[in-house]
Amino acid sequence: MVLIFRFNVYRPKDLDDALEILDREAPEVIPIAGGTDVLVLVREGVIRFKGLIDLWPLRRKLSFVRREDEFIRIGALTTINELGRSFLTSDVRYLGFHDLIHYFATPYIRNLATVGGNIATAHPLSDVAILLLTLNAEVKLMSAKGERWVPLENLYVGKRVLRKEPNELITEVRFREKPTNSSTSLLKFDRRKAHIMGYVVVATHAYMDHEVIKDVAIAFDSVGKPYPGRAKLVEEFLKGKPLTNDVLSKAVKEVLVKEMTRISDYRATSEYRLYLSGVLLKRSLLKVKERIQRGSLG
Amino acid sequence: MYDEYPSVKIRLRVDGKHYEVYVKPYERLVDVLRYKLGIVSVKEGCGRGECGSCVVLMNGELVPSCLILAIRANGSEITTVAGLAPEGKIHAVQKALLDVHAIQCGFCIPGVALAIKWLLDKNPNPSDEEIKEVLSGHYCRCGSYLRFIKAVKTASKYIREGRIYFDIKEVIS
Repeated sequence: MVLIFRFNVYRPKDLDDALEILDREAPEVIPIAGGTDVLVLVREGVIRFKGLIDLWPLRRKLSFVRREDEFIRIGALTTINELGRSFLTSDVRYLGFHDLIHYFATPYIRNLATVGGNIATAHPLSDVAILLLTLNAEVKLMSAKGERWVPLENLYVGKRVLRKEPNELITEVRFREKPTNSSTSLLKFDRRKAHIMGYVVVATHAYMDHEVIKDVAIAFDSVGKPYPGRAKLVEEFLKGKPLTNDVLSKAVKEVLVKEMTRISDYRATSEYRLYLSGVLLKRSLLKVKERIQRGSLG
Repeated sequence: MYDEYPSVKIRLRVDGKHYEVYVKPYERLVDVLRYKLGIVSVKEGCGRGECGSCVVLMNGELVPSCLILAIRANGSEITTVAGLAPEGKIHAVQKALLDVHAIQCGFCIPGVALAIKWLLDKNPNPSDEEIKEVLSGHYCRCGSYLRFIKAVKTASKYIREGRIYFDIKEVIS
């Protein structure tokens, strides 16, 4: 046995049962979805707890992708491969999900890792969260005492820290349907193509009227804080402007550097990361534009 | 020193055989397969879902057994590389790996063979890109990656020709 401490595992019968256990035992007991992050942290000795609530039995109820009343709703226990099989990857407005599933870890991890789990990880490399930030997604938090919707952006306060009560569980994500003439993209850069964390991750959603950007949302793995966030100054700068080379290089050279600070670590220096952020920002905007014009994967 | 938690009885069907086994809540599927059921073709490499040596097919889906708690596998159908073909036969994927001499030390092969099987189940004639994507999660320290790609194509040909199983005596003399 190589796990370095022992713990109990609860197998809830249904969602109410899970919320009740969480209400009674949190924070000594924490929920586990796919487990691709939690069990690694356990092995590395980063976290300790008395027990886990295995959410896998709730998959029948919490694994779905559907359109409902102007919203796209995604169940928290939807796996990445299930996202890949949903209608999202063929709708030109949501092609960012197509990018996402091909960049996300490896195929066998995609069979386990879930949307809710990726959000709850609150790590700069939570790819799903980065894409959902550009779609102005909201997260449904449920507890034994009730439920509430919070904007995904407001959920993060630190690396691996969420602004939520320990007894609250992420059960669903939703975002408003986007207008036609809009599209999304997600780009990641690293030494290899597959199985990467990415020195830089960027997601973009843009709504364009011919050449002019009507609305745009840009999210990076990290803008100034150690968790995914939006590049608000760049968004403001780009709105209402045509997507020309001039505008793009101004956005990168003058605006992005005002709000972005990057860290150096053993994988890349801050200077390189900052430079790369600008390059990927340009590429992702051009990719979105191409997708809108073609009306398909480009 | 430690809290001890009671064992839980789980039922598994591994490679067509039924098992009932008592597991601790903190035990992982790979521990149970290797140390309780003695199925050692499932290798533990990194233990953190990066190397792909421990993958098994759980209800037909490729998953890393080092990141699955054993009690989550209760009631599921698990296929390891030993269960790909009936007794005395080998599967087209295994035959293809032998054909192209993809096996050196062999540690990664159980995982790779299952990944190829999973890929071909979904897509009998995959492109180079699709093959590379599926095999991206499997580390081979002997460096047989290009031979894996050849093996997938050979296996794909066998399967499309309807030659799924090969008699083991024909292959190994």
